[in-house]
Amino acid sequence: MEQRTNGSWVIFLSFFVAYLLAIVPFPDWAMNYRPQWVAMVLIYWAMALPYRVGIGFAWVAGLLMDILEGSLLGLNALALAIIAYITLSLHQRLRMFSSVQQSALVLALIGLHLMMTHWMKIAAEQAVSSDLLFLLGALSSAFVWPWMFVLLRQMRRGFSVR
Amino acid sequence: MSLEYRVAAFVMLSLAVMFADSRFDYLDRVRYSLGFLTAPVFWVADIPARVSYWIDDVFVSHGDLIEENARLREELLFAQRELQLLAGLASENSRLRALQEASISVNGKILTAEIINISSDPGSRRVLINRGAQHGVETGQALLDAYGLMGQVVEVLPFTSWVMLITDSRHGTPVQVNRNGERAIARGSRGDVPELELEYVPDTSDIVVGDLLVSSGLGQRFPKDYPVAEVTSVVHDRGQPFATIKARPLAQLDRTRHVMLVELAQHELDAQLQGADAAVWLESDFEFIGPPRPKMPPAEEVMVLESDTVVPPDVDPEDSASVDDRGQGPLPQAEVSPDRGQGPLPQPAQGQE
Repeated sequence: MEQRTNGSWVIFLSFFVAYLLAIVPFPDWAMNYRPQWVAMVLIYWAMALPYRVGIGFAWVAGLLMDILEGSLLGLNALALAIIAYITLSLHQRLRMFSSVQQSALVLALIGLHLMMTHWMKIAAEQAVSSDLLFLLGALSSAFVWPWMFVLLRQMRRGFSVR
Repeated sequence: MSLEYRVAAFVMLSLAVMFADSRFDYLDRVRYSLGFLTAPVFWVADIPARVSYWIDDVFVSHGDLIEENARLREELLFAQRELQLLAGLASENSRLRALQEASISVNGKILTAEIINISSDPGSRRVLINRGAQHGVETGQALLDAYGLMGQVVEVLPFTSWVMLITDSRHGTPVQVNRNGERAIARGSRGDVPELELEYVPDTSDIVVGDLLVSSGLGQRFPKDYPVAEVTSVVHDRGQPFATIKARPLAQLDRTRHVMLVELAQHELDAQLQGADAAVWLESDFEFIGPPRPKMPPAEEVMVLESDTVVPPDVDPEDSASVDDRGQGPLPQAEVSPDRGQGPLPQPAQGQE
């Protein structure tokens, strides 16, 4: 257990890019299709490096997301902490999955994430209840996942992030 | 297992933070400090838009520039003509207001800004502007573009601020119909189309398609009489208690980048109200303490008032004399009330006499 940490900047860079993609303006019709980049990057790192990216990391990442979105402080933090928890408890199996199976799990996780944030926003009166079209974001996330997985794995191996 | 405990702890922490953030304002400073961390993200995210503007500016042909210059000059001429008319109207308006002892309309200072991002949340309509606490932005300031009212600042970060647009379903704008002064609240619609709905308007009200809605200034947030929206549909349904009225915002909410922030008129308004109060107090004191009115030399009376109230010192004596002349009528109160109304604006009354 005396592994030295290495390549932290790769993790931070991937989160930075995820935040960028999360706030880049989309046209109105495409709003619902926006993949949940931050949650996906979090799932990847929690799966690959569970001893480095844990629940606390996820919580702080969610807090920053709250500031970026201008939403209630702690809302994304709670959702991402739960996503990280599920990923951490499944990470051994997740690594063995085929990419289709992984995508299916990502679909479920992102769907849960979207549902949780939506419910909390309604409870906090930050949004009004609407149709469930926003769950399309989970679909697009699952679609993007295999490519993102390969890209992040290449980066992790290339820069030997531990 | 420790993982469960940890997630439970963080869930509790999140709930506590959410509760604190929604009920109290302890966390505003945390928000503000975290804003320093997120500022670079917004800065980088805005690079493509800035580059495209820069390219538009740099790679433009000489002919286009000349054409644009001519067009702008024409527009300027037109705007100046309008401004001339406006100046006349403004002075006439202030004179009429002084006659009626109405309050004086307040014009706040203006700060230009640019929209650099829009909210990624499909359920809310908010935009991010590139001015923040470091530029003097405050919560509640109104955002305008050249065509109409856009929204108000709801959250201030160090270098940026979030603005809730008037089409957000949680935003209500106090408006009045420009034609006849009927008042209503315009709420953002819940649907996908960015439009406004007038709430609780009785079926008998006189609002028709094409009416211009201007801000009424009743919320003391928005500048008064600024264009907000144009009525697009009026439906009188007998089954409904109120008329269903929809309006299209005049501001280019989804196209414009260059916007204006108006400084809160509230501060100045407060100052004026306090000034008015002080004047009232002084006058009433004067009535109790002072000797019987007819024996009092009129000029002195006004001099006392001037030195103690907010009336600017450069009021010329002729003006105050004219006020006194009117005050010597049969009713003693009459001399007090016009003066109160004219506190900040003494000149116009003389012109009318």
